[in-house]
Amino acid sequence: MNQPRGFDLWKLILVGAWMIIALLLIYPLFSVFRASLIDGERGAYTLGNYIAVLGDPIYRRVIGNTLFVGAAGMIGALLLGVALAVLMTRFRIHARALVGTLAVIALISPPFIGAYAWIILFGANGAVRRFVMDLGINMPPIYGTTGVVLVFAFKFFPHVYLITSGALANMNRSLEEAAESLGATPTARFFKVTLPMALPAISASALLTFVLSISDFGTPRMIGRDLDVLATEAFTLFAAELGGNPGMASTISLVLVFISMTVVLLQRYVSRRNIYHGSMIARIAPRQLRGWRNLLVHGFAYLIVAIGALPATIVAFYSFRRTSGPIFTPGFALQSYERVLYTLPDVIWNTLRFSFAALVAIVIIGTLIGALVARRRSVAVSLLDGTLMIPYVIPGIVMGIAFIATFNGPPFALTGTWIVIVLAVFIRRLPYAVRAAAAALKQVSPSLEEASISLGYSPARTFMKVTVPLILPGIIAGGMLSFVTAMNELSSSLVLYVGSTMTMPVKIYLSVLDGEYGTASALSTILIALTAAAVYAALRVSGNEARSLV
Amino acid sequence: MADLSVKGLVKEYAAGVRVLAGIDLDIRSGEFFTLLGPSGCGKTTLLRTIAGFIRQNAGTIHVGAEPLDDQPAHKRDIGMVFQDYAVFPHLSVADNVAFGLRARRLPRDQIATRVGEALQLVHLDDYGSRLPSELSGGQQQRVGLARAMAIRPKLLLMDEPLSNLDAKLRVELREDIRDIQRRLAITTIYVTHDQEEALAVSDRICVMSAGHIEQVGAPLEIYRAPRTRFAAGFVGTMNFLAAQIDAQNRLAVAGTAAPLAGRHQTGAVALAIRPEHVEVVTGDPADRSAALHLPGTILKTIFLGREAHLKIDTPSGPVTAELLDPRAEQLEMTGANVTLRLAFGHLRAFDQSGAFLPLEFVA
Repeated sequence: MNQPRGFDLWKLILVGAWMIIALLLIYPLFSVFRASLIDGERGAYTLGNYIAVLGDPIYRRVIGNTLFVGAAGMIGALLLGVALAVLMTRFRIHARALVGTLAVIALISPPFIGAYAWIILFGANGAVRRFVMDLGINMPPIYGTTGVVLVFAFKFFPHVYLITSGALANMNRSLEEAAESLGATPTARFFKVTLPMALPAISASALLTFVLSISDFGTPRMIGRDLDVLATEAFTLFAAELGGNPGMASTISLVLVFISMTVVLLQRYVSRRNIYHGSMIARIAPRQLRGWRNLLVHGFAYLIVAIGALPATIVAFYSFRRTSGPIFTPGFALQSYERVLYTLPDVIWNTLRFSFAALVAIVIIGTLIGALVARRRSVAVSLLDGTLMIPYVIPGIVMGIAFIATFNGPPFALTGTWIVIVLAVFIRRLPYAVRAAAAALKQVSPSLEEASISLGYSPARTFMKVTVPLILPGIIAGGMLSFVTAMNELSSSLVLYVGSTMTMPVKIYLSVLDGEYGTASALSTILIALTAAAVYAALRVSGNEARSLV
Repeated sequence: MADLSVKGLVKEYAAGVRVLAGIDLDIRSGEFFTLLGPSGCGKTTLLRTIAGFIRQNAGTIHVGAEPLDDQPAHKRDIGMVFQDYAVFPHLSVADNVAFGLRARRLPRDQIATRVGEALQLVHLDDYGSRLPSELSGGQQQRVGLARAMAIRPKLLLMDEPLSNLDAKLRVELREDIRDIQRRLAITTIYVTHDQEEALAVSDRICVMSAGHIEQVGAPLEIYRAPRTRFAAGFVGTMNFLAAQIDAQNRLAVAGTAAPLAGRHQTGAVALAIRPEHVEVVTGDPADRSAALHLPGTILKTIFLGREAHLKIDTPSGPVTAELLDPRAEQLEMTGANVTLRLAFGHLRAFDQSGAFLPLEFVA
């Protein structure tokens, strides 16, 4: 292509992108950083907060808890996800579509709904626990570390499953056959060839589940009870009416970001050389098992996804139960829905409105930046691409606190408006949209654009006639997923909402805390239904590839 | 249809790295002209510069009397066929072919006629409504060809159009391309690294290496009378033997020497001969005239069906000889000592700079 001469659109996009990042990412994070250096009582700059966090046994325990639930959640998700991926790619499983669908349901229902559903079953008053206790067997309620880890494992395993099964399915059969012909037993073959080949995918999904686990706020808050982790501790310090400590909240937020970032860098370092390019010559055909082995494999696969999809099912079931005030009573009714639609239509409407606004901003700006990243290489663009990695490791609670610290007063007094809630979702989700658009563009061979030019269309008209139609499915699919994330965002909204800008996740969270389980169930069901519709649309557009959800 | 002339074309990427080091070419109207060379020789850069996708640092390109240099690619009226087909996956075959015609805002009925003609040309008459994903690679490239021809370009450029196809299809499609080009007499520039393909389709071949032209000529001329050592080695298989012109004005190879007519500078030369011209003689050759004779030992024989290749070790290095329609006992000669007869008429010499050195032997 000819080098562009003089002024061009790409420079404008580059400058605009940097302005957005400076305002919505760098400036807020800098504000948090500055706040973390300010002494709560004297207002002077100090490292005291950091010394306190690292020196105080209470905070040290919080850090320990965070690392523990992160690691345990990750290990649980890995065990379930890798096992399911191996079973699904190596053996013939009936009703594969059902397994896939259940995994996707587990994937899309927000984690705090998972926590809530487990409380319904195994909480102090839980249905299953009461049943077991009635049989005379003592069963402790699920609250605490066990509950949190269980929720994480069953909530996050679909990520591992989708990523790992992709790698396993694309593995060249000849490699395993080569190992077999060289005399490796099936077990040795699996551990020496199959697993190492899938390791980059497994470690990437391990990283993802760890970061998701340590940054989750709703689950430890609801089911963790006395289990304090960094995310909940930051919120508590921040939100306390009296004795709140913004400096300390900021410090803890940054410790959380630091842990996420360390893990990301560690994973990058570990898997820096382990990229295997599979040629798609011969895929592995799933094996048909017979007898008890077949039953065992089927039972295990179904059990994992069934438990994963349980929260959504439970919540839907309870939403139709008759209630008397906050108490469930025998029988079924639409009371909960009536109450929600009667008293909380604003909450539903807010959620849709905010999410749609975020969607539009993310799709337009994400696509423009994505095109910039994919087609114009320069130092400023590479730096932009790198900076856009930051939101991946910023937990929602931290983004919320950063936005409060930044937009509370002039020059950008946005606190209390819907805009600030949308902007928080926007900046966190923007990198995904940029990646999606850039990836879609990289699939479009430059020779397609050159063909159009040689046939007589100018570069600008070529972009509209060839490039845009080709990347549209990817962009729409990415957009639907941004919409889903925006609808289900709890932690940053919880910090940023005021009465008039309450969203469904925030209301569900508050209802669960208040014991309003009927309302919570009905709202959760509506949220899951809306989410499922958006995900279904995304899958239709992107060719039913559930992997694109991760 | 017009002749294309390229003068002093230079393309530099990083400072000092010359991908095109001053190219001069004249291509005749209606000619099938092939740029042949190894990857990195600049042939694709030259093609893309003519197409307008790359801007040269110096030099000019004219079609007829009209300079192309300041015209953007989309106004050059040059058809292009791509290595990866570049068929628009979101458009039907017919819409692909109509793409350039719509860009030219032709009336609807005329577009339909031209699309029909173009598809007929490439034998895809019934495929208009299909999507590219339903076509084989060869069919997709036919669509690419029809699409480029439909705009009736001044010039047709083809960038390794067959290299993604399997061997059989490649031969079939290259003949179709050649037939269509002849019938329409469209000036065509064809880029390939496959010398057999170049020999099969071209009116003239331009052998390139390292950003410059080694030789331009008809296929027979390129094969039989290479002007440089590079062209001799790149096109077809060639044996090179280390030889010297000695102080007695003789060509000396491995202990034997043949007197030369005319004076030559002494020094090392590379002696080239095609495998099909190496005669393998068992026993003592009766006729020792008008040829060099080298002793050799057969290292191995490779049977290829129509012919066999014999790998022979000689004091001047390994030599390959080709035996047409070999007999069974000829394939079992491994280890045998033989004499190689290299007829003077088939030898070509190149000096140390790689340039052709005409030698005449004293009969």
